[in-house]
Amino acid sequence: MYTTTHRAVVPFYVYAGLAFLVATVLLFSGAGEFSGHYFQPHILAITHTMALGWGTMIILGAGHQLIPVLIEGELYSIKLAYISYLFTAVGIALLVWAFYIFDMGWPAIYAALLINAGVIVFFVNVLMSIVKSKRENIQAVFMLTAAGWLLFTTIAGGLLICNFTENLLPEGSLHYLSLHAHIGIVGWFLLLVIGVGSRLIPMFLIAKYEHPGLLWSIYGLINGGLIVFIFIFLNTVWPVLYGIPLICIASAIVLFGIYCRQAYRVRIRRQLDDEMKLSLLAVVMMVLPLLFLIGLIITLLSLSADVKMVLAYGFTIFFGWLTAIILGMTFKTLPFIIWNKVYHARAGTGGTPSPKELFSGKVFHFMAICFIIGFIGFAGGIVATNGMATRIGALLLLGCAVLYNVNVFKLLLHKDVML
Amino acid sequence: MIVLTEIAVEALAALRWVFDPETGLNVVDMGLIYELCADEATKKMDVLMTLSTPHCPMGQSIVDSVKGRLAMSYPDYEIVIKVTFEPAWSVEMISAAGQEILKR
Repeated sequence: MYTTTHRAVVPFYVYAGLAFLVATVLLFSGAGEFSGHYFQPHILAITHTMALGWGTMIILGAGHQLIPVLIEGELYSIKLAYISYLFTAVGIALLVWAFYIFDMGWPAIYAALLINAGVIVFFVNVLMSIVKSKRENIQAVFMLTAAGWLLFTTIAGGLLICNFTENLLPEGSLHYLSLHAHIGIVGWFLLLVIGVGSRLIPMFLIAKYEHPGLLWSIYGLINGGLIVFIFIFLNTVWPVLYGIPLICIASAIVLFGIYCRQAYRVRIRRQLDDEMKLSLLAVVMMVLPLLFLIGLIITLLSLSADVKMVLAYGFTIFFGWLTAIILGMTFKTLPFIIWNKVYHARAGTGGTPSPKELFSGKVFHFMAICFIIGFIGFAGGIVATNGMATRIGALLLLGCAVLYNVNVFKLLLHKDVML
Repeated sequence: MIVLTEIAVEALAALRWVFDPETGLNVVDMGLIYELCADEATKKMDVLMTLSTPHCPMGQSIVDSVKGRLAMSYPDYEIVIKVTFEPAWSVEMISAAGQEILKR
């Protein structure tokens, strides 16, 4: 049996939790800026704290733990996991600072180099783990492809940073922003969350449900849609054609919703815990950015790009479904990792708490409430251009991040107890 | 298939105190124990078991828990645990009693 040591996983969780806290502090302090244009230093800093510090770091950490489960084999190298952490941890902090002070000189360039180095190391680790494994499955293919798109995203991001000072590309960096963002959102986050979710959600629901055909269709729609999007973007063909990738990605999300609904219907476990409820809510929340995107395309065809729609679109991805699934899944994975660390030697002797008892269910519950109300408040505030709603929403999201970290540190600091 | 000698029945009862951490069900009702043979002459107990997911992060702890519980109940026995994924565990292997608990 192969499991990845907690030492290669836990630092990613800690970093991600603190990044979420930093992002919500920045969101609260800069809530007023969400009524202006999205290309602002503070909004770029918040977006990259969420996308890289929060979303990517926790996925990298959980990925190192999940690879053995997905490929039914060993992680290729623990050392590479540590190296990947070092590069990305330093690089992301430097990048966020560079965006915050908007210095696209050496801080941003070195940050991009470090992040790219960390992502290359992760990609090699995933690739070699799969190559070494005797078993193949669709979820491993999702993970490898998603890691490839992440690398594409970070390389593109690095080019955009260099383009600020060196004019490497035919257009300015702002022009390529949506290309860079969508490769990351769709190719990395969406593909990976659907791939891993298709394994974990039926597993935690205790549902005998598998549908590889449906998952391959989703895989084809996401990758096909993204490739078509890149082609249309780079060849500046008729904008209406953007409807093709939109339909592909929307269909993939609907099919994944159907997949989860089927798993939910045939589940044996009737009562769902709060962690699973939040994870399933994340699947429903995947539809929200699509609605804002459709609204954005309609306004784009008739008038000009509606900045509010762009902000709401980005917000409902990073602070919406992505955050919801991380909040839920953290407490379906981390307690087991910590339990293994603390109680492994006493396994079977009795008198140990269950993994679920290592964190506070009440704190989780309040965290989920803060998240849901804060999310609705902030998204509503952006759409209605209501400063009070965005500030209250940001405060509740900050509360959510504090409570999340309280529970994460409660887990990390857990000491052996005899019941 | 569980080979039910008298001591095996007792050992299975002992294993009802080893729980799957995710479902809260004991490993017997969870259907993780495929065979349990106890030889009173040689003082050897062989357990053939599985896990709900291959290479699950909790897998080694569950296996160690089974071994630890049997070693505690039968200190004079040699306990040998073998883990197999043939056949792979599926939800139908949960006992009727276990399914009832999960449906509550």
